[in-house]
Amino acid sequence: MPTEAKTSTDLSPENHEMIDLIYARCHENAPNFGVGPDTFKDSLAKTIFKYLGQDGSPDSGDVDSLLSQIQADDLFMAMACANGNERAWWEFDHQHRGYLERVARHLAKTEVDAQEVIDQVYVELYGTKIVDGERVSKFSTYSGRGSLRGWLRTVIWHSLVDLHRASHDEVSLDEMTENVGEGMAHASFAEASLGGEDEMIDHLTRERYRKATVSALEAAFASLEDHEKLLLMFYHVENLKLREIARLVENESSPLRGWFQRKSQTRNDNPAGRIHESTIMRWLEKSYARVLQLFRSELSEKGGLGHDEIDICLGLATEDLAGNNFFKNLSTS
Amino acid sequence: MANNEYIHSQEAAIQNLVGQFLKVRSGRRSNRTDAGPHLDQDSLAAFTEGVLSEREAKPIVSHLVDCSFCLHVTAELVRLDMAFAETPAAVTVAETAEPRKVSEVLSGLISRIFGTTDGAVFAHEEKNKDDENKVENTDSEDPKEK
Repeated sequence: MPTEAKTSTDLSPENHEMIDLIYARCHENAPNFGVGPDTFKDSLAKTIFKYLGQDGSPDSGDVDSLLSQIQADDLFMAMACANGNERAWWEFDHQHRGYLERVARHLAKTEVDAQEVIDQVYVELYGTKIVDGERVSKFSTYSGRGSLRGWLRTVIWHSLVDLHRASHDEVSLDEMTENVGEGMAHASFAEASLGGEDEMIDHLTRERYRKATVSALEAAFASLEDHEKLLLMFYHVENLKLREIARLVENESSPLRGWFQRKSQTRNDNPAGRIHESTIMRWLEKSYARVLQLFRSELSEKGGLGHDEIDICLGLATEDLAGNNFFKNLSTS
Repeated sequence: MANNEYIHSQEAAIQNLVGQFLKVRSGRRSNRTDAGPHLDQDSLAAFTEGVLSEREAKPIVSHLVDCSFCLHVTAELVRLDMAFAETPAAVTVAETAEPRKVSEVLSGLISRIFGTTDGAVFAHEEKNKDDENKVENTDSEDPKEK
């Protein structure tokens, strides 16, 4: 998400005031971290324009809301660590080393791998590359938008994937993802042998319905909103469990939750209510219903098919699914 | 009654169809580059925690539906987050141990990686005596880790 470089001078006086208050609190909590107010302000400005600067300048209300959620103490510590402040590193090591080790051990197959990843992450966090005479610490990429621990989990995960890729140089994560998909896409189609004119006509009719079905399904999916697509992809492509998706939307201000519950009475009645697996199932069912509705109207309006013909399309598709051959004509658009 | 059965069979058919469609589509789109650059780790972490606003999350969600790589990473991070949410933090020896100075940690690492302990690589500021005392008297053990 490239954004135009902006500085704290582009923020409103109210935003500046709020940042000053945040800085004062952080400095009070950690007076020896050696982070100056201007550096801190510039770092927050970077965060603001990274996350809110997509469609021009963010309004002051959005910035206030972001600032009220910023993980200021985490950011303060990360900035101090990036500068090589000894006290900040001491605090970081004390507060997070155990957590880093647990995450690494959870993900790694062996203790050796876990240790290697932890070592690698510490080296990256400190930074051994020098650019324009300055050491570049991984900490400088932490924005404070999420928690430091959430960010550390992500860093460890990537580091472990890099380690895996280095030791299995024939397989990259991209390739692994691709191979699974290509296997599905190239599944052979055991075409029944055809004989006689009737069977040929039958085959041509079926092919026509199949093409219409695939194209209608593509169009129906493309017409969904992005959050509906994402939910379906998490469930069907990534095989996330309902409770895992529920965890993702657990935060009451979660955007996915907001989009799905936009017109929901439940949200109005109990906006902070817990999201259960059954709620996710209902969201999925609503998304399927939307696809079905769009699919039928696509076949009817653009394909000119009648009610019975649409049923034939669905029936044929269901029969064909077992052979994985149905989507051989799927476009990649 | 017959109408209900008809609706259910249609719903079941579309569920299977959507599932299969998405798996194939994902495989075919995995190397697409028009989704733009991959999401950075900071954005992935913040999105996975569900703390972004709708305005902030919109471009991320839009990228995820077009980039199977980032979609996969996000799903893995959700699983990881879930695993740590469900597992009570175990106290390990390392967590109760005294934290090391960054210079000690990094010197140890460098020595293992490069076979040297070149202290000149790391120029750290020295803690003053007051800081040392303050640190020793601070009970900063994280209760979340117990």
